[in-house]
Amino acid sequence: MDVTTYVRNPLTYVWALLTAVTVTSWLIARDGGAAHHLNATVTVTVLLIAAVKTQLVIWHFMEVRQAPTWLKVTTTGWLIALFALLLGFYFGAA
Amino acid sequence: MTEVAEESSTGATDAGRTAAARSHLPGDPSMWFFVIGDLVIFGVYFVVYMYYRGQDHDAFLQSQAQLNLTIGTLNTVVLLTSSLFVALGTAAARGGRTADATRLFGLALVCGAVFPLLKLVEYIPKVIAGVTPGTNLFFMYYYVMTGLHLCHVLLGLVILCFVIRNLRGPAMPRISFVETGATYWHMVDILWLVLFALLYLMR
Repeated sequence: MDVTTYVRNPLTYVWALLTAVTVTSWLIARDGGAAHHLNATVTVTVLLIAAVKTQLVIWHFMEVRQAPTWLKVTTTGWLIALFALLLGFYFGAA
Repeated sequence: MTEVAEESSTGATDAGRTAAARSHLPGDPSMWFFVIGDLVIFGVYFVVYMYYRGQDHDAFLQSQAQLNLTIGTLNTVVLLTSSLFVALGTAAARGGRTADATRLFGLALVCGAVFPLLKLVEYIPKVIAGVTPGTNLFFMYYYVMTGLHLCHVLLGLVILCFVIRNLRGPAMPRISFVETGATYWHMVDILWLVLFALLYLMR
């Protein structure tokens, strides 16, 4: 197995980005959210990071990037609706 | 040998060209209907959780403080890494590099198997400390959502074993089956990404 080919694969770069933002959101929750008080900045940041990560996995790992339009529309619609509702309920009841 | 080497070095460009030329639905269409259905069902859980959280932010925040953020983060990296191996393995299988694909799916299986183990490390001290689904609404959602997700992980691990068996078999591997298994495994990954943000990260 030629490891170099896999290390240089664009999918590996996507994984590196996913891992980097995971560590970032861990730091945000650990430091910014340490007090466990209501904190809209932390919440909006980690939810947006989660939305971007989800889209990256759907687009590149699940290969929806190359899939028919109906699937692109359905998955993107699910993602936007979900995060809009999550943020809506967070702020709506805050 | 030269052919194989050429194939592996141009594999990525070929995939790009194919994508530009025509769209491709990876795996069995029925798996995609299952995946979309599952995403919608979990989506409803996530939104209902957020609704109830909004009714009593303080109680949810105090309960969240009892979760192990480090294990949650480790499990996220574990699933992302496992997903990477599955994605690379799928591309290798499609490019005819079956031996590589088998190894990559094997690595995905090993990574994926770490997830339930870490989950046990998380669950057991909680249950011993008397924190159960009956403790409060947060822990009810915590156990139900992570428990359902864990069932998906366990089924995913079984599916990965079948994909490996398919790759190791004497016949040419069925690429559609590899893609179907991969699609399911990536879905398990994205459900966790949202759960991780909702249960561990948000404030």
